[in-house]
Amino acid sequence: MVVQWMKTASVLASVGTALLALSGGALAQQIDITDHEGRPVHLDAPAQRIVTIPMPMASGVIALDGGTSKLVGMNPLSLTAIREGILGRIFPAAANITDSVTGTDFMPNVEALAAANPDLVIQWGGRGNDIVDPITNAGLNALLIKYGTEELTRQYMTMVATAIGKPERIGPLVEWRDKVEKEIEAKTAGLAAADRPSVLYLGNALSSITASGDKGNYNAFYINMVGARSASAGLSGSAAINKEQIAEWNPDIILLNAFEPQLDVNWVYDDPILSLTKAAQNHRVYKMPLGGYRWDPPNQESPLGWMWLADLVHPELFNFDLRGEMKTAYQTLYNYQLTDADIDGILWMDKQGTATGYDRFKAK
Amino acid sequence: MVTYAGEAVASPTPRRHGRPTLIFIGLVVTLLASILVSLCAGRFSVPVDRALAILWQGLLHPGATPTTIDERIVLLVRAPRVLLAAMAGAGLAVAGTGLQGVFRNPLVSPDILGISQGAAFGGALAIILGIWGLPLIGMVFLLGLAALVGVGFLSRINGRTETVTVILAGLVVGSMFTALVSLLQFIADPNSSLPAIVFWLMGSFSTATWERVLIATPGLLLGTALLWGLRFRLNLLALEETEARSLGVRTEPERWLVFLVVAVIVGSQVAVSGIIGWIGIVIPHAARLLVGHDHRTLLPAAVVLGAAFMVIIDTLARSATSAEIPLGVITALVGAPVFALLLRRYYRERKEQ
Amino acid sequence: MIGLNGATVRFGSRVVLETLSFSVPVGRSLAILGPNGRGKTTALCAMLGFQRLDAGSRLAPPIVGYVPQTGSSNQRLKAVDVAVMGCAARLGLFGQPGPADIDAARAALQRAGALRFADAFFDRLSGGERQLVLLARALATGSPALVLDEPGAALDLANQQRLLALLDELRRAQDKAIVFTTHDPNHALAAADDALLLMPDGPALCGPVTEVVTPPHLERLYSVPMRLVELQGMSGTPHRAVLPAFAGARAA
Repeated sequence: MVVQWMKTASVLASVGTALLALSGGALAQQIDITDHEGRPVHLDAPAQRIVTIPMPMASGVIALDGGTSKLVGMNPLSLTAIREGILGRIFPAAANITDSVTGTDFMPNVEALAAANPDLVIQWGGRGNDIVDPITNAGLNALLIKYGTEELTRQYMTMVATAIGKPERIGPLVEWRDKVEKEIEAKTAGLAAADRPSVLYLGNALSSITASGDKGNYNAFYINMVGARSASAGLSGSAAINKEQIAEWNPDIILLNAFEPQLDVNWVYDDPILSLTKAAQNHRVYKMPLGGYRWDPPNQESPLGWMWLADLVHPELFNFDLRGEMKTAYQTLYNYQLTDADIDGILWMDKQGTATGYDRFKAK
Repeated sequence: MVTYAGEAVASPTPRRHGRPTLIFIGLVVTLLASILVSLCAGRFSVPVDRALAILWQGLLHPGATPTTIDERIVLLVRAPRVLLAAMAGAGLAVAGTGLQGVFRNPLVSPDILGISQGAAFGGALAIILGIWGLPLIGMVFLLGLAALVGVGFLSRINGRTETVTVILAGLVVGSMFTALVSLLQFIADPNSSLPAIVFWLMGSFSTATWERVLIATPGLLLGTALLWGLRFRLNLLALEETEARSLGVRTEPERWLVFLVVAVIVGSQVAVSGIIGWIGIVIPHAARLLVGHDHRTLLPAAVVLGAAFMVIIDTLARSATSAEIPLGVITALVGAPVFALLLRRYYRERKEQ
Repeated sequence: MIGLNGATVRFGSRVVLETLSFSVPVGRSLAILGPNGRGKTTALCAMLGFQRLDAGSRLAPPIVGYVPQTGSSNQRLKAVDVAVMGCAARLGLFGQPGPADIDAARAALQRAGALRFADAFFDRLSGGERQLVLLARALATGSPALVLDEPGAALDLANQQRLLALLDELRRAQDKAIVFTTHDPNHALAAADDALLLMPDGPALCGPVTEVVTPPHLERLYSVPMRLVELQGMSGTPHRAVLPAFAGARAA
């Protein structure tokens, strides 16, 4: 476990200090981290009061800590996700945590931030100093993280685990991510281009329809990993597309985002154009599941999303026991025993239970 | 009787319909050609002969349900989109023409009255509240009208409204609604509703359906028909206040009638395709260059030119690349330089006078 | 019939018109004379109904043929399209001028001596030509009353002559009540039956031109010594003209 952790920590040279501090025992547990902007972050003791301004990190902190006690402030939209999703049922206390520390544009509210009295504020890096300066000017400790790739995800999750003094929690998580990724890639690495179905992930659907090119796109990362190719690979960045373009791509599988609450697979089946795509004709339209967090972007549950998609894309290659894996993961992450009804809800069984390949996710 | 040389000669047969008729034939042919090309062009490749055959069948059997993908693309995606673009372009052009006449200022456009901004706020609010479809359109229209009523309320001082106060009140109301839209963007969910609002505000026909055509048609047709009916009156409203009134024009209520008609047109257009800038200012000018300032020929020219221009721009937007190019980007790229030229000419001419 | 009845207009504490009364029947022509700022324009606006009266009333037909000094239109319209606007009141909100209206406009242009540039663009015409077109528009209204704001004020002498001859001709036709403002008493002598002098120091004087436009009155009106001279006109008829006897280098 420590070996696994060390591997990840190799990019975080200074985390070693924390280990020394741990082994020193007599000393207070001083923690030093270098964040994604290359800034040194120092903590005299493991962070006890954390504010997360980036949305996915709220559930990330809960998962890494195994509880809600260290989370003292979050993005309003992290809170709505908790209240509406399964996390609110697992941790009812989380619903009372303040969300006034930031606007949804990640601009900190310094007064509310100071009132929350955090010893660490997690904020986005790579988005300019305007959203960082208010934190540091208030004399608060900021940890800047960057979003996007699997590597960055593992790094910032490791930073946060280190900061809260629970490095032992991140090891198994990274190990799990690594193991699932390797297991899937072992079966898909040799696939010829012709054997890779085209998958179209739609980041928006209801007003405008958006899709993304492959560069810096986490969705494309796991679409390629599970032995498919992204239908929208030719785009640069995220772009609005039209239904005619989708018909021209004619993807084998369509993935709908979990961000739009009113979006479900009938949006495709009821559309005169989209219903004639191969994906719709073969009933291979799926909305991304919503667990402790949405499975579309990188988060603590990402490997579950990969397994879900691998099973759907290449049922002849993969046969994960998704329900079993989910129960294990939720036990580890949240110390929570998932019920079959919980799982049905997360996977949208009522809406897409009859989709091709979905019967294997049914409760036995 | 004061006579001058040649005065006694019977008036020469005026050739008032010679050149304009040719121009109108040219404009209509351009519009029809752009519509036809637009119906055949797109990301999904449908051969031209096949597209034309589908269209012909669609015209012969309008009630038939298209089954194959190319039929559906031509008849359910492209046809309503092209029609909506043409109607919106025509509506914006005619609304801009009317406003420029009434304000006696060639540099105003429909958003001067804050109608577009009010309508935009209605749409953004609907998106935030998770309202889609018909109720969204209703809110767009309602708040566009609310902006107009606000302008009327603000600009009415001592029971009279002056053109300048209307422009200033439009500016105030427009700014207020712009701020409200920014506020909504501030509180919008950056993962879902924010991109939706941003995209919607940019203006697009990508969501065109026959249903939307039906929603936009009454307002656009009625508004355009009313302005057409007012075409001679617009010549009079373009006069100085005292001149117009001396000729029997009730300037104030008639001006408000034009504003109301413009609100109906712009509200209907924004409801189905968001804010589309520049058309309302560039097209009336182009039309004026072609057929002159008389609203009786100017309005129909603006209708045809606006429709053709919008169809061409939208065809570019949806078929030039895999991604939809935002309409506002293209209209601004074309419109801003044209506007700059007009501005220079306008002030140069005013100096010369 | 057009006129004012006991009209009073105040701008703040300043009284511009005080219980001014006059009326011009069809067949007569009235010139309103006065120095700048004495209320010529206010009186004109009051007659047209553009100026709110603090007291009194106006007397006017529903539509008055009004000829502004310069046409304001920055729209590029043909002269005939400007003249046909005179028919607007008959046509109503959604009405369109038909062939009969265009014929009426052309007839009005003919009467105003502007038919030869009927198909020229209004904004390309000279100041004098524009005023003729605007006069034609006023005639096209068919109104029995015609009100002109300082006709000829901005014109050169040849164009003034042309316009005054036209005004005089309209006066002789005796089918309109004509009112025009002017700061030049010679315009009154040339084209008016009656004159209204807006005196700076007392009530306005109104009466036939021959009685009212006299040197003593004009000296009070303009505060400049005036002389009346008899001239031989071009056709041999006697003409009268008033001249200001300005002090200066060659003043007698």
